[in-house]
Amino acid sequence: MAPPVVVGPLCLMTPNAKPEDDFPWWLVILASIGAFLFWQIATSDVYSAALANLSKGIWITIAVSCVAYLGACLMGLGLAMMSLSRSRILRQMARFYIEVMRGVPIIVLLLYVAFVLAPGLVWLVNQLLEPLGLPLWRTRDFPLLHRAVIALMLAYSAFLAEIFRAGLQAVDKGQIEAAQALGLNSWHRFRHITFPQAFRLILPPLGNDFVAMVKDSSLVAVLGVTDVAQLAKVTAAGNFRYFETYNVAALIYLTMTVTLSLILRRVEQRLKARQER
Amino acid sequence: MKFTAAALTGLMLLSTAAFAQDLPDLAGKEVVVVTENAYPPLQFTDKTGAAVGWEYDAMAEIAKRLNVVVKYENTSWDAMIPAVSEGQFDLGMTGITIKDERKEKVDFSEPYMRSEMLMIVRGDEARFTDAASFAAIPELLVSAQPGTSPFYAAIYEILDGNEENPRVIKFETFGAGLEALKAGDVDLTLSDSTAANGYVGASAGGLKIIGAPLASEDFGFIFPKGSELVAPINAAIAAMKADGTMDTLNQKWFVDYKMGE
Repeated sequence: MAPPVVVGPLCLMTPNAKPEDDFPWWLVILASIGAFLFWQIATSDVYSAALANLSKGIWITIAVSCVAYLGACLMGLGLAMMSLSRSRILRQMARFYIEVMRGVPIIVLLLYVAFVLAPGLVWLVNQLLEPLGLPLWRTRDFPLLHRAVIALMLAYSAFLAEIFRAGLQAVDKGQIEAAQALGLNSWHRFRHITFPQAFRLILPPLGNDFVAMVKDSSLVAVLGVTDVAQLAKVTAAGNFRYFETYNVAALIYLTMTVTLSLILRRVEQRLKARQER
Repeated sequence: MKFTAAALTGLMLLSTAAFAQDLPDLAGKEVVVVTENAYPPLQFTDKTGAAVGWEYDAMAEIAKRLNVVVKYENTSWDAMIPAVSEGQFDLGMTGITIKDERKEKVDFSEPYMRSEMLMIVRGDEARFTDAASFAAIPELLVSAQPGTSPFYAAIYEILDGNEENPRVIKFETFGAGLEALKAGDVDLTLSDSTAANGYVGASAGGLKIIGAPLASEDFGFIFPKGSELVAPINAAIAAMKADGTMDTLNQKWFVDYKMGE
């Protein structure tokens, strides 16, 4: 049967198209633009010098994003389970944390973690080390890079917690009841029934936040972590060419985020194929 | 020739020894110095990405005279004063203007440099030629980073001293304020002489400098409050001013060195 012909604003409201079957024209166009820009970089001194400088920060950006994201996932899952737990205290604690962390701008959180939480932590650790006669931990031995990663992790865990909660709540009650009837204990119910189904549902929003994390990792430049964004700032200050330098930064970030989103798309499709099998 | 070179080396050794007598010997103490590398020619990265500049040379000379070992770290300007004041680093250098309210958080060295502010406008600007004629035309706008010296110069030296004056358009970074000038959103931006000349040079006629230099200000190194390094470093700065080392550095970085080439 031929699909119904939909015209006008209706075609935006009827979600029966299969976006995953489209040929990725957008990618062809993006790749052409990317190829053109890389060719520009290769032929221009200013651009190639900027790329040489900025690319030194790629590994820092990747490491910051990955470590902070993994930590945020673990924390977020824990928070989601707390907010669905039977204990009212745990539920309230999770809610408090999520609402506060979600509402504070990441840049404020970065400065707080770096200059309030980190020295506080050092002080606490020293309270333990001192009576043991061990050498004291100095604030300066706690690298700003680590503080930045902790701040990003704390911020994103609140967002991810809400995604995990939505996913866990979306699993059909009947599934859990069936598992209970089969005599599975609560850990096995979570591990084999709830989590696999929830995970398929939340993969797209989780991936979305991973891409956002790669971009937000540029905020760690505030603490002077030499990621791509900080190197862009420093390079532009030295070569007096802001636009050229930030163009290169944009290209580096885009290359990373598009690659990431293609990988995520592939994983989604694989999970879907497994489900339909 | 060999003899002359040897004699010169001997003389230099002698003079170094003479200074070493006056200055305290800190016995190889490690000093952690923090900077951003975003303020040419004081500290910046050259084309190869190496961190260089006036302050690096000055710090190397201070280290030699006081017998300290310098270890460099980087942080951004936003985090520098809090980081130094909590003792994360021993010394901060990034062309920091000596200000009374900053002295509540950190200790300053004696000034090692005096900086002047220049007015940067678009290359085709003809409506005003100096601070007074800019101030006289109400629709003209100036861009500045809040809390920085150019911001206060714009408020107190060009305009009416009202920090909420709507003619000052605030930007988070200098680069954004400069692009706003190029795009026509504002008509003026301020920068210290080196950076101003650098941007004008890189603009291929798109920008120019007008008027006389504005407010001069003094730069100092910052230390955590009560730092024992302040006195020895002040002594080294005084010695370097007296023997012409500072003049040599100024010639090297402000006159001879060609930025962005």
